[in-house]
Amino acid sequence: MEEWRFIDFGLVDIRDMMAMDEAILKGDGGNTFFFWTPKKSIILGYFQKAEVELNLAQCRDYTITRRISGGGIAFSDDRCRQINYGVVGTIDNELFPLDIIDSYKQICGILIDTLVHYGLNAAFRPINDVVVESRKISGNAQTRWEGKLLQNGTLLLDFDIEEMLRISNIPKEKFMDKKIASIREGLTWLDRELGEQRDMEEVKEIMKQKFKERFRVRLKPGMLSEKEKELTEALLPKYYSPEWIYR
Amino acid sequence: MDILKTKQGIHKSRGGLIRSFVSLENGKIKEITISGDFFLFPEDAVFKILDNLKGTPASREEIHKNIEETYEQENIQSPGTSPSDFTESIMKALEA
Repeated sequence: MEEWRFIDFGLVDIRDMMAMDEAILKGDGGNTFFFWTPKKSIILGYFQKAEVELNLAQCRDYTITRRISGGGIAFSDDRCRQINYGVVGTIDNELFPLDIIDSYKQICGILIDTLVHYGLNAAFRPINDVVVESRKISGNAQTRWEGKLLQNGTLLLDFDIEEMLRISNIPKEKFMDKKIASIREGLTWLDRELGEQRDMEEVKEIMKQKFKERFRVRLKPGMLSEKEKELTEALLPKYYSPEWIYR
Repeated sequence: MDILKTKQGIHKSRGGLIRSFVSLENGKIKEITISGDFFLFPEDAVFKILDNLKGTPASREEIHKNIEETYEQENIQSPGTSPSDFTESIMKALEA
């Protein structure tokens, strides 16, 4: 059985995490599945302009950075009840289809299997969402580099919608075709769906289990290689720089 | 370009929201910028799209043709979003 590296980065500063994320994609560590939980922060998608998408006056307490993949803002309030994951894999086998939407669907299957484990009616909603009863519970973003893919995503355990609406400028057009009246009806999170708080470590264990089952691999705990650490050091200034964040 | 003072065109494709900000000079695109939560590979080709649009006559046909050419040159893939979606967003900014 194939062996993949597994890393749990724990609670992190997203600027450091985004540098490590890119370093894992461009490094020599091989196929990797990893977790992290972001401290209070906002991550802009590659194509988003901060002054357009954010209400910057309301964002002063937030750490802001940008990622190398597209998609929308990833927002984390100070409750920090989110499981973020990353998958770095080679696109040369049946695990990761070349077709972008097929590969999203394949990796999002880990989240769906996890939610189904908790008795929820979860489904993939193309391009990149996982929904429970048509409410988004997980957003995902993928990029590709030299025959490898990097997919990041989040599983919301708790979420402060009102705070997200305060910090962002989401136009009404965003929801017009989703048959929902507003973002308030369009999002959900695990604590709400289950009516109780689950231990985050327990949910992560289920996700790891579902990952192993879906991809039929073993997960071996590991850490960044020397090359990945060097790459991270080299990438850190970018993720901290206004030129990258506010470009 | 001061985008907060520029009228924006908003168009939602299946792949995400595209917000465009455009200024014109003599009927041609002078400055253009885009913000959105769509996906496009390779990501940095978005700057090629924007660069190539500068100087393009501000008509739907010319804009669409120009974006399609960049898609071909740069081998762009954008699940759920097409050159027509970018064109639509830009036209909305021009008509705003």
